[in-house]
Amino acid sequence: MRSRTVLVIGVIVLIAVVIQTTLFGRLRIVTPDVVMLVGMLLALTRVRPEAVLAVAFVSGLIMDLLGASLIGTRAVVYTTVAYVAIRTRERAELGRVTIAVWAGLLTLVGITLLIVVGTLFGQARLVGGDAVSVMILVPLANLALAALLAPPFVRLVDRDRTALRYP
Amino acid sequence: MLTSKRSDRALPTFISLLVIGVLLMTFDVRLQGGGVVGVLRSGTQTIVAPLQRLSSYVVSPVASALDSLSNVASLQEQNATLSAQLAESQAALVAVQDQLAKLQLLEQIYDLETDEDALGRTIANVIGAVDAALIIDKGTRDGVLAGQPVIDTNGYVVGTVKSASIGSATILPIIATREGLTVLVGSQTGTLVSRAFSSELGLEMDLDVFDAREPVLAGDRVLTSAASTDYPAGLPVGEVLADASPESTSLTTTVRPFVDPAALRFVVVLAWPPDPVTAATDDTLPEVTTTTVDGAETSTTATTIQEDG
Repeated sequence: MRSRTVLVIGVIVLIAVVIQTTLFGRLRIVTPDVVMLVGMLLALTRVRPEAVLAVAFVSGLIMDLLGASLIGTRAVVYTTVAYVAIRTRERAELGRVTIAVWAGLLTLVGITLLIVVGTLFGQARLVGGDAVSVMILVPLANLALAALLAPPFVRLVDRDRTALRYP
Repeated sequence: MLTSKRSDRALPTFISLLVIGVLLMTFDVRLQGGGVVGVLRSGTQTIVAPLQRLSSYVVSPVASALDSLSNVASLQEQNATLSAQLAESQAALVAVQDQLAKLQLLEQIYDLETDEDALGRTIANVIGAVDAALIIDKGTRDGVLAGQPVIDTNGYVVGTVKSASIGSATILPIIATREGLTVLVGSQTGTLVSRAFSSELGLEMDLDVFDAREPVLAGDRVLTSAASTDYPAGLPVGEVLADASPESTSLTTTVRPFVDPAALRFVVVLAWPPDPVTAATDDTLPEVTTTTVDGAETSTTATTIQEDG
């Protein structure tokens, strides 16, 4: 990766963490997981898969360190979601709608994993109070955000204005 | 642009990171949040806290506005209820002021010394939230230390400080803690347990009284006990939701905490125990000061720490 790409990704992750822990940490109606979304959308770029996994892991670790949950919980989940995203990214190539649905489904996988891993390690409140509503609202919010942000995100990271342009 | 080229190193990298993640989780469990893990937490908080504080200034009004919009219907109802409660409280306040005046007069007559509240308090803004934990804008620089009890501006128990860095700290609410909280209901001592680790997630908590002598009734206030090592005695925690009678010698019921952590904007961190030697026998009820917040958040961020004489 070029140093500029590293810088761009670093800044994006930092912004995502800050927004997630401040704005989206306090809203009850709109609750996306933008840090998880960044890991997914990176899979759509030219960034090497192992670098995508590393970014997902580090961003999850930062979230763990800022919260009160066990260190490594989100890191493991975000890395798994990023890996599934890398393996399934061809399915998202068809258009904006497919990217949104793909991101929504991956988020659902991520939230489910968070609940499972959290329960196994005694962190059942990892996703908040009402697990069922979280499993519905977070994927929907990420779905909407992915539809809006995926094209500009990929263009910014890859520095390619033609990326993800659909007829 | 998308590329169909896949690296063969993705799978080994993925497995390696998973192993590292599980190892970190195991370390955290073994170290119980201390040691290297504690240093990592405070280091990350130190780096990110200034950005969170900056972001909080911008997003707080947006978050409050959006939250208010989503609760317009219930807010009107709450407003009416609170107006009625305010009228009752004002009447009660007048009565208490009369009693205070009499008390002061009697103290002057008999030359009594007043028992000053020695607990230091740090009022802090909630600048963020991760999972159930809250992030506040005060840290070790302001006297906030891990393990200190946290209350809201009405004096209700919120939780304890999980970790603290120079300029920020993480609060773990009682509804998300694994450990039970020793409380007092009437004259009976019980343990308040979070439901975070059961299948029924919610704000309610379970109250277990193992040496029950009398029933508890819905509406009974639950207070922190002098037997608690984490909180000063007498702090209000919540109220009993359902009547319960002793079965054999134990009793179990549901308690709703007075504080919903998700709705908090300000908290008060208590410098407690004031003295480790006297902590075990401390049964003082801290005087709760009411903080008026009139719109501007910056006006409430003053830190008031009183040294224990």
